[in-house]
Amino acid sequence: MISLSQVAYKNLLRKKTRSLLTVIGISLSTWVLVSLLGFNRGYQSSLNRDIDQLGFQVLLTAKGCPYEAATLMLKGGTGLRYMQESVMDSLRKEPEVEGVTPMLMQALFDPNKGESGGITAYLGVDPQTFPRMKSLLQFRQGGWFTDPDAKEAVMGYEAAELEQREVGDLLLIPEKNVELKVVGVLKRTGTQDDGTIFVPLRVVQKVFAKENQLTGVGIKVKKEASIDRLEQKLYDLPDVQVVSLAQVKQTIMSLVSSAKVLVFSIALVAILISVVGVVNTILMSVLERLQEIGILKSMGAMAWDIVKLIWLETLILCLAGGMLGTGLAIATAHLTDILIRQLLPYAPTGGLIHIDLGLIFLTLAVMIFIGLVSGIYPAWKAGRVRPLEAIRSEVE
Amino acid sequence: MWRIQHEARASKEQAMRIISLTICFILAAAVSLYAAVGCDLNDPDRDVARLFPGSTGYKTIYVSIDKKGGKELLQRIEQRLGDSFQGIFETIDVPYTLYQVYRKKDLIGYIHGVNQKGQYGGIQVFLALDLEGNIKAFYFQKLTSRHASKFRDHQFGEQFIGLNLKDFNSYDVRSGKITGPSRVENIKNPVPEAETDFRASLRATKKNLILVDEFLLGNKYLKHFRTGGER
Repeated sequence: MISLSQVAYKNLLRKKTRSLLTVIGISLSTWVLVSLLGFNRGYQSSLNRDIDQLGFQVLLTAKGCPYEAATLMLKGGTGLRYMQESVMDSLRKEPEVEGVTPMLMQALFDPNKGESGGITAYLGVDPQTFPRMKSLLQFRQGGWFTDPDAKEAVMGYEAAELEQREVGDLLLIPEKNVELKVVGVLKRTGTQDDGTIFVPLRVVQKVFAKENQLTGVGIKVKKEASIDRLEQKLYDLPDVQVVSLAQVKQTIMSLVSSAKVLVFSIALVAILISVVGVVNTILMSVLERLQEIGILKSMGAMAWDIVKLIWLETLILCLAGGMLGTGLAIATAHLTDILIRQLLPYAPTGGLIHIDLGLIFLTLAVMIFIGLVSGIYPAWKAGRVRPLEAIRSEVE
Repeated sequence: MWRIQHEARASKEQAMRIISLTICFILAAAVSLYAAVGCDLNDPDRDVARLFPGSTGYKTIYVSIDKKGGKELLQRIEQRLGDSFQGIFETIDVPYTLYQVYRKKDLIGYIHGVNQKGQYGGIQVFLALDLEGNIKAFYFQKLTSRHASKFRDHQFGEQFIGLNLKDFNSYDVRSGKITGPSRVENIKNPVPEAETDFRASLRATKKNLILVDEFLLGNKYLKHFRTGGER
């Protein structure tokens, strides 16, 4: 005995071209939908990753303390201000804070740099927290410190190039007469890290006699937390200044929000077009088969059976189109990525189109829903057909 | 209504400006930092006048072994140096800055510096040369050493004055020995315990002279290398 789904399938095959065009229409809508939703996910996750890779989003320094190496150089290596290490405890308690990393910058005048001498700066960092927070940093040679008390140095690319240092070489802190062993040389980052000499925090504190003192604390804020709110709390701490990337992040995020509205508007239009297309196809099919439906009813088929048949046809069309469109979106994701990058003023690194299983199932669920909704009117119309009137109308 | 639209537009334009500035800043930083580090005079106006008293101007030219002659040139330079280029920073694409020094319209000499690995850091050795390639002045622009002051003392630099590449041809940069009669043997190490930096200074000087010969003097001293004994 032939099943209902087989009947629906055969019905669709009777008008192959029309069914095919409908499937193509649905698949194009699905393609747009999957690509847009994939873009929405991909863009946001890539942006989040880029922001994460910046390390900390907020830098807390003692009031008046230069927080960039360049400023420190301009000031001749002077003007450093200090915070007590205990500030870390109060920072860790803030619910917005994901992690903190203490830093101590020290600079020395080196009379043998150039004709009039120059400044060499050392950044003391915590071997436990700093590498984790600065996950972007990659090594050209070697790695991070072997011990928090080791007299070792990790050099930014430019610093290593200027000092001609490689892993295993020695580095001398002038004036202090302390030797450091180079254990790592970083790859270029395009940031001030390239010119930085990283040394374990405790070593810098000891060599420069600044025990329990810090010049800065890097703060990584939880993704969902408000940087503004945290900043307001930090402003209440005595004698500190807050340097934040919040403005950049929030500007980017507000642009992303605008883009989201646009994306969902386009997706909605695509869905509406496909709904109208499906309704049109199925309704045409019902109207053409009035006599046939009348005969089915006269043979004992109930209204609900007819409704189920029409709905099934709609679902088959939508599912076929949905699967085809999803496949198309996956296949062209790379191309779409390239095209979007041409159009956007700023695109983060990493893939912009992120299509995962969740998105595929979501899309297919949406297509099933569209199928059910689109099939309501044609199915209702088919279910209401009166057998004798339908057969007579055909005879007339 | 118009005001709201205007404000929204202004705010969007401001947002775009911030993004653009951020991107420009990142790109500018990246571009400037990606230029390989050569060896330039820190203050050319001051340094050229000091190294070449009586000069009135200078012209700067940039050359790299890569662009000038590629691997073949590198091989020849290494052969003349008696040592291969070492490490991750002494490479074929290092840009060399050469200063042609003028008195009014007349070319009177050259200044050239090279980076060299020292015991505790990079050493930058600059030579002021006359048109024949004879050293007129020797200058450590940068030197990290426990005994830097002794090396930077004018007495150490004066030992190099009057020497040229012919003298250095018989100096073996690997062993630090002199393989034939050469005025290089007169150069005394001011700090015997800093042998590494002393030898690094001589290697830098020889490399510097070879590069000037290749880039500016038309290989004037190449014949001495080919016929002069072992080197």
